[in-house]
Amino acid sequence: MSQFIQSLVDALSAGAVLGLAALAIGLVFGVIRLANFATGEIITGAAYALVLTWDLGWYVAIPLSIVVAVILSLLMELAVFSRMRTAGPATLLIASFGVSFLLQRVYELIFGNNVRSAPVASNLSQSVDIAGIRLQLLSVTAIVLSAILLVLLQLFLTKTTLGLQLKAAAADFRTARLVGIPASRVIGLSFVLSGVLAAAVAFVLTTQSGAVGPTFGVRITVLALVGAVIGGIDKISGALAGGFLVGFASSMLETWLPQGAGNFRDAFVYVLVIVVLLLKPSGLLVRGRGAVRT
Amino acid sequence: MSTPSIIKRSLRYRLAPGWSLVSLLLLVLAAVAVNSLFGKSNQIAMQYALVDLLIVVALQMFIGTSGVLSFGHVAFVAVGAWSVGLLTIDPTLKHALLPNLFPFLYDIHAPWVLAVFIGGIVGGLLAVIVAPALMRLNGLQAGIATFALLGLVNQVLTYWSSIGPESGQSMVGIPDVLNVWVTMLFAMGAIVVAWLFQRTRPARLLRAAREDGTAAAASGINVVTQRIITFTASGVIAGVAGGLFALTNRVVQASQLSIDLTFITLAMLVLGGMLSLSGAVVGTLVFALVDLLLVKLQAGVSIASHMVQIPQGTRPIVLGLILVLMLIFRSKGITGGREFVWPFRKNQLPGVPVSND
Repeated sequence: MSQFIQSLVDALSAGAVLGLAALAIGLVFGVIRLANFATGEIITGAAYALVLTWDLGWYVAIPLSIVVAVILSLLMELAVFSRMRTAGPATLLIASFGVSFLLQRVYELIFGNNVRSAPVASNLSQSVDIAGIRLQLLSVTAIVLSAILLVLLQLFLTKTTLGLQLKAAAADFRTARLVGIPASRVIGLSFVLSGVLAAAVAFVLTTQSGAVGPTFGVRITVLALVGAVIGGIDKISGALAGGFLVGFASSMLETWLPQGAGNFRDAFVYVLVIVVLLLKPSGLLVRGRGAVRT
Repeated sequence: MSTPSIIKRSLRYRLAPGWSLVSLLLLVLAAVAVNSLFGKSNQIAMQYALVDLLIVVALQMFIGTSGVLSFGHVAFVAVGAWSVGLLTIDPTLKHALLPNLFPFLYDIHAPWVLAVFIGGIVGGLLAVIVAPALMRLNGLQAGIATFALLGLVNQVLTYWSSIGPESGQSMVGIPDVLNVWVTMLFAMGAIVVAWLFQRTRPARLLRAAREDGTAAAASGINVVTQRIITFTASGVIAGVAGGLFALTNRVVQASQLSIDLTFITLAMLVLGGMLSLSGAVVGTLVFALVDLLLVKLQAGVSIASHMVQIPQGTRPIVLGLILVLMLIFRSKGITGGREFVWPFRKNQLPGVPVSND
C-alpha cells in the first residue's frame, strides 16, 4: 500500500512537471499556432544557468535561470517565428525543429558534449516520512511548485487585463485582434510566460539529475509536445491535462511494468498517444470531434 | 497555328516530363563522377549522401504528394537497416555478438542485394500496418503521430534483444560490399520509381486532395486510401535506404536512426523544395556539398597562402542555420516546388501543379 502511495506521489510529480512543460508549449500554440519543439532548448539553457552559477547561491542562480529562459524564448520569437506568421503549423513545427537542433549544437560548442554538474538544491533530494510513508522531498516540491505556478497563472489569466487579453487571443486569435487586442504584446507575453514555465521545469529536472548536457531538454519536450497534442493543444487546459496524463502514465509504467519491460515505458506512452489521436484527433478535452485547426 | 507547330508543342509536352527525369539522373551521375576525382574519403561522404538521397526521395514521395507531414519515415529506414544487419552478418558472428535472438533469426541469411530488397519489403510492411491508423490524421496531429511511431520503433529496436543487440548497443560485422557507384544505381532507381509514381493514379488523386481536400472528397476521392498507398510505397524506398545505410555504415545502432537523421533529411527536403522530386534531389546534393565544404574548412584549407579554418562544431550549426533561414525567406525551397523541364523554362507541366500555400 505504502509503495503504491509512493509511486502515486512520484507519478503526480512527474505529471505536474510534464504538465508545466506542455503548458509552456500550449500557451504559445494557442496564440500563434506554433508547437515549439525548441522549448526543450529553453529548458536546457535555464538548466545550464542553474548548474553553472549554483555556487554563487540560489538567490543568484534561480533568478538568472528565469532571465536566461525568458531571453531565449523572446529571442526565438524575434529572430525566427515572428518572420513566419503566414506559415502553417506543420511548417512552424519543422522550423522549431531546426531552432532546436541549432541551439543544441550551439550548447555543444560552448559547453562541450560532456555533462556539467552541480548539486542544485541538493537538500531536496532527501526523503521525508509522512504518516509512515517515505516520500521523495523533491516529488513533493515539484507538486507544490506546479500548484503555486498554476494558481498564479490562473489569477493572472482571469484577474488582469493583460492576462485576459492573452486568454482571449489563445481562444481565438483573429477575433481577439478584431476587438482591438494588441497582437504583438500578447504574442510576446505568451513567449515570456512560456520561458518562465520552462525555467521552473529546468529547476525540477536539474535538482533531480544534478547534471545538464546539450540534449537535456529533448526527452521532456517530446513527451510534453505529445501530451499537449493529445490533451488538445488548442485549449490551455487541454495542453496542461495532456502533459500531466503523459507524465503520470510514464512514471506509473516505469514503476509497475514487470522487470525488463520497464525499458519500454516510452514505447507504451507512444502507443497510447497514437490511440488517443485516432479516437480524438482534436484532443481529449475538446468536446466532440471539434474542428481541427490545421 | 500551323499543324507542325502543334505537333512540336505536343511533342515537347510529352517529352518534358521525361526530361525532368533524365536531367535529375544526369545531375546525380555528374555529382558522383566529379566527386570521384577527389579521392577515397570524399567517396565515402558521397555514399552517405546517396543513402540520404534515397531517404529524402521517400520523404518527398509522401510529404510532397500528400501535403501531410511525416516524422516517421526514419522508422522505416531503421527497420530496413535492422533487416539487412540480421540477414548479412556471418552466422557464427551472429551467435557470438547477438546472443538473445529468436532462434530462427540465426538460420536466415541472404546475399546482400536480396537483403536490401527484403529491407525495403520490411519497411513497406511496417508502413502498411500503421498506415490505416496514421493516414486519417492531418496537419500537426499527423506530425505528432508519426513522431510517436518513430519514438516507438526506436525504443523497440534499442531494447528488444530478441531481434538485435543488447539494449543500446550496436550491431557490428556487416560485410563491406557496397561502393559509391552501386549506391548511385540504387539512388537512381529510387528516383525513377518516384518519378513513375508521380504519374500514377494515386499520386494524381493525392495531389488534387493536397490542393483542396474538400473538393477532392466531394469528387469522390478516398483520400485515406490514396495516402495509405503512397505511404507504403515511400516506406519501401525508406526501407531500402535503411539497408544501404547498414551496408555503408557497417555498424547499426538505433540511436543513429532517430531524431537527428529525421531532422537532417527533412532539412534537405525543405532546402530543395518539398513539392517536387527535383527539390528532393537538388536539396540533398546541395546540402551534401555544403556539408563537405564545411568538413574541409573545419580541417583547415589554405587559400592564397592563408590558412583558413573554422572552429570544430561550426558545421552542424551552419546546417541548422541554412534550414531555418530557408524556411524564413524561401519556404518553397531552391526549386520552388517545380520540376526541371526542357527547355529550361518556368512553365508548369500538366499533371504537376505547383501549390500556393
